[in-house]
Amino acid sequence: MEYLKFPMLMMLISGFMACKSGSSSKSLPILGSREPITKVVNGKTEVDTVYQTIPRFSFMDQDSVIINNDSLNNKIYVADFFFTTCPSICPIMSKHMLEIYNKYKGNPEVAILSHTIDPKHDTIPVLKKYAEKLGVKDNQWHFLLGAQDTVYQLAKEGYMSFAAQDSTVPGGITHSGYFILVDSKKHIRGAYDGTDDEQVHQLMKDMDVLLAEEKNLKNEK
Amino acid sequence: MRNKIILSSAFTLSFVIFLGACGNEANVKYQRYYADGSQVYKIYCENCHMSKGEGLADLIPALTDTTFLRENRAKLPCFVNNGLKDSIQINGKIYQSLMPAEKNLAAIDVAKVLTYVTNSFGNNQGIYDVKEVENQLNQCN
Repeated sequence: MEYLKFPMLMMLISGFMACKSGSSSKSLPILGSREPITKVVNGKTEVDTVYQTIPRFSFMDQDSVIINNDSLNNKIYVADFFFTTCPSICPIMSKHMLEIYNKYKGNPEVAILSHTIDPKHDTIPVLKKYAEKLGVKDNQWHFLLGAQDTVYQLAKEGYMSFAAQDSTVPGGITHSGYFILVDSKKHIRGAYDGTDDEQVHQLMKDMDVLLAEEKNLKNEK
Repeated sequence: MRNKIILSSAFTLSFVIFLGACGNEANVKYQRYYADGSQVYKIYCENCHMSKGEGLADLIPALTDTTFLRENRAKLPCFVNNGLKDSIQINGKIYQSLMPAEKNLAAIDVAKVLTYVTNSFGNNQGIYDVKEVENQLNQCN
């Protein structure tokens, strides 16, 4: 029995450490640029921080429904950029997004936005068909169509992501494979490699953390 | 007693290794094709057909339809090199998405990746020789 003591002690210690790191990760950072603004409240000067928010947008989804900032009020969402004929990283991203979709299916506080970056080919009927073939039949996962320039700009300035035309890559468009987690105030709370199993699982853990935070905020009001 | 067990297991192990080393040449070739093929698969196929060959919902077919692979054995090299535009039926479902062509893949790599695919994911169809692939590539439409 003597030789069992050491591993058991180690297990106990690592168990404690696991608990500790678990509790410290209960709040997600707010990513992006930020600027302090000073204002005078009741005669006192106060400094407040303004965080980067997703700019206003308005796009049409696979059911021809307009999706804009207001339709996502009181929701957290995950956004990515893709195109339906993309032969490189998109299928694995879609597979991972499908895992997220299946986990949060029916949860009215969670939405998914997939922006097409090839609006010439990916018309509403093409997006509809793509969604159906993935098995998405409700209105929780929006496949969004918008003007190319607008979408590229939103990717760059809003989501710190990128998309651009590049004839040297398969499919003709290059883009990052990030999944961006956005809270109900349109702040970016996380960015994850959508092609990586582990990071996608971290994203789902972080979504639970964020959902708990949002719930606490609502209760405080 | 314990020493005896260790000794006899060491003996058995070395015997098995000895036997394995004597495996025939065809088997060695198959092993090489299969191992190299898994690397080719990672680069050219896995993004769409996924690591376990499971495909993606109704968009990208799985590579698990053994009957399809067997019946279309002669066409598979052309599918890889020229891609696919026509709809195909896999595991009873119709798939219409475009499959990109991998024109730059050499016959030997096509042979290796097809050896990997047709002997993974529940398939068990033996080696795809490079000569067989070269021959079939000359007959693509």
